[in-house]
Amino acid sequence: MKKYKFSLILLTMFVVLTACGGNDSAKSGSSDTGKGSNFPSKPVELIVPYAAGGGTDTVARSFADMAKNDLGQSIAVVNMEGGGGAVGMQNGAKAKADGYKVSMVTVELLTLPHSGLAQFSHTDFKPIALLNEDSGAITVKADAPWNTLEEFIAATKEKKLKVGNSGTGAIWHLAAAAFEKETGAQFNHIPFEGAAPAVTALLGGHVDAVSVSPAEVVTQVQAGELKVLGVMAEERVESLPDVPTLKESGIDLSIGTWRGLAVPKDTPDDVVKILEESFGKTAQSDEFKEQIKKMNLGYRYDNGEGFTKLLEEQDQLFANLIPSLKLN
Amino acid sequence: MDLLLQGLGNVFQPEVILLLIGGVIIGIIIGALPGLTATMGVALFLPVTFGMDAVTGVLLLIGVYFGSIYGGSIAAILLNTPGTPASAATALDGHAMTKQGKAGKALGYAAIASGVGGLISVLMLILIAPQLAGVALNFSAPEMFGLALFGLSIISSVSGGSVLKGLIAGVFGILISTIGMDPMTSYPRFTYDQLSLLNGFSFIPVMIGLFAVSEALVIMEGEIGGGDKIKKIIANYVLPKWNELKRLWFSMIRSGFIGTIIGIIPGAGADIAAFVSYNEGKRFLKKEEKETYGKGNPKGIVSAEAANNGVTGGAMIPLLTLGIPGDAVAAILLGALVVQGIQPGPQLFATSGELVYTLFAGMIIANILMVIFGISGIRLFVKILLVPKKMLAPLILILSTIGAYAISNNIFDVFTMLVAGIIGYFMKKYGFPASPIVLALILGPMAESEFRRSLVMSEGSYSIFLERPIALGFIIIAVLSLILPLVWGKLKKNKKVNAA
Repeated sequence: MKKYKFSLILLTMFVVLTACGGNDSAKSGSSDTGKGSNFPSKPVELIVPYAAGGGTDTVARSFADMAKNDLGQSIAVVNMEGGGGAVGMQNGAKAKADGYKVSMVTVELLTLPHSGLAQFSHTDFKPIALLNEDSGAITVKADAPWNTLEEFIAATKEKKLKVGNSGTGAIWHLAAAAFEKETGAQFNHIPFEGAAPAVTALLGGHVDAVSVSPAEVVTQVQAGELKVLGVMAEERVESLPDVPTLKESGIDLSIGTWRGLAVPKDTPDDVVKILEESFGKTAQSDEFKEQIKKMNLGYRYDNGEGFTKLLEEQDQLFANLIPSLKLN
Repeated sequence: MDLLLQGLGNVFQPEVILLLIGGVIIGIIIGALPGLTATMGVALFLPVTFGMDAVTGVLLLIGVYFGSIYGGSIAAILLNTPGTPASAATALDGHAMTKQGKAGKALGYAAIASGVGGLISVLMLILIAPQLAGVALNFSAPEMFGLALFGLSIISSVSGGSVLKGLIAGVFGILISTIGMDPMTSYPRFTYDQLSLLNGFSFIPVMIGLFAVSEALVIMEGEIGGGDKIKKIIANYVLPKWNELKRLWFSMIRSGFIGTIIGIIPGAGADIAAFVSYNEGKRFLKKEEKETYGKGNPKGIVSAEAANNGVTGGAMIPLLTLGIPGDAVAAILLGALVVQGIQPGPQLFATSGELVYTLFAGMIIANILMVIFGISGIRLFVKILLVPKKMLAPLILILSTIGAYAISNNIFDVFTMLVAGIIGYFMKKYGFPASPIVLALILGPMAESEFRRSLVMSEGSYSIFLERPIALGFIIIAVLSLILPLVWGKLKKNKKVNAA
């Protein structure tokens, strides 16, 4: 009898919890379709597919904080981490298309599907605004024997150099791999759990270079510990005005990460328009630009149309690049 | 010194000190609740600091950070439900003391040890940070593998009664930790196309399940089975006496140093520090004391608590001097500083000396506040033991569920927690300790990825582990601590046979 009662309690717990889990889907079927004119009539949720406190989260939170005035509703940041961004973006793509669930999307929206790690695609979203872009860069120790990209590439052809990245298949690994393809350099790719450990390993002399963004090395560069040989951007980076782009060195490559806002693809056009105008205003405000600059990140705004174009172009790049790496 | 005094002056501005006090109190509460970790607490308060000036904002976060590392010990000691992974080691002796009716004392030891460990680490940060920062840079993949291997060898000492059962639990933990993306190739292992499994089972829900949910189930079972089966725990608040504390200074100071050093190492945090120091605590005991270790020995509590708070100052060393964050909390603090336009790194001490010393002063005060609130709160904390069991169990379940869900707003984590809870319940029934699983979940993935990263670095040559002294040292200690007890046992047996 005792045992029976006990398993009954366990069973009840499961039932209650399953019911809780089901609640979400039940709710999303009900009333409250955000029809144009009175949108937004309640707080908007901003899904961040990474952990609270990280770079993407900080961008999202400061944006949400500023955007609430332009939007006229508060914006709640919800962190849904997991699967290197896959869980959050999947949830964002599948969310009810009423404009009340906006997703922070990142370059992983394009790289995860091509790596076979996610089933969504960038066409599951309607882009609203591009907020930031950071290119890759080749950074070495300040006392390293190479002072130009040419010297560095030549050195890798004699002996494979160890290049640290932020994880296999992550954007800085892809950047380094694209660099190899484009220049004929030979790297021994060392994956770390994020950019910071890779930079630490470079400082300690355990790897020869890193391919992470300028933002992630700028402190050590200013302190004279590291030097950047080239940035993988279209134009020179503001924080490192003396560092040439790859294009200046005759290498046709620009690759990097970006962050932007998007809603599910079936969101009504009038709602999308309201969001685009309101978020566009915030994203182009001096306050937001200042904040992005303070975080050492690269500012790049584009509206829904421009953002869509970027997605399509880059999707092509990764569609060619990732399968050629034979990751799995 | 002048700078430090000036810093103290800055901290005692009314709004700064009030926010610091608020931060510490909130931190203690966050730490005590299952599932709400130090990282989450600090992340939650990050946006609040955007509108503040640099010092005030960062000190608020530091208050939350320090408080929450200590706060975890309260639930660990009273309810055997460690609120943060860092206090899983504290639960071993802490909860045993509660069962002996010495909850007040256990909490007192934890508060004082946390303060001492924290202060030691802040002092080391102030005095020799630049020299110590080099330690962080000497640690790369092979060294981290050595450390992880050494950490895994600790399993035998946190196993409680049966080492065999401890090892079984440890292997079970390592097996679970292989689920998720391969750390080197990102190939999804055992994920069955579940997106939520790509990063493996989330660690915190598993831990809450193993400790808190299983404890709630045990309490419920006791209640259903007649109520009196579980001995009533006396909710007293007898504080530790001075001469009792005197015996513990050495343990606290040693553990504070261990915590600081582990805090400096990037990628190793308060959880690893607490377990390593707990294990070292055992090494220094007399034979008769070893018997009580794990069964309510104050030295066990202070070893774990001084070390996990020792990490706080240690983690700030590479952050402030090199601009590299060693763990998740340090990464958020880095973000908070950068948003304020302060760039941590080698130049920080030269360009913003006053700010740095104000932070140092704030950290000292935060540690003192933590002890004050910790001790004066004991009267309040022990009241939780007076809550009727039939209310306590559902309360633990509710808090656990919220905690597990809040980690990443994913219902999958809640189911993970429940399943872990049921496994934990049966483990308790059959005498399998839960701590080895926690240790294995923290260190298993670390050992695997660092081992493989080392081999990628050396292009497949195993000599990388032999050429690097720190790595080799750790590996030798790990192997010895596995083999020595066996050899020792054999020798003793032989002696006995000879004597007979």
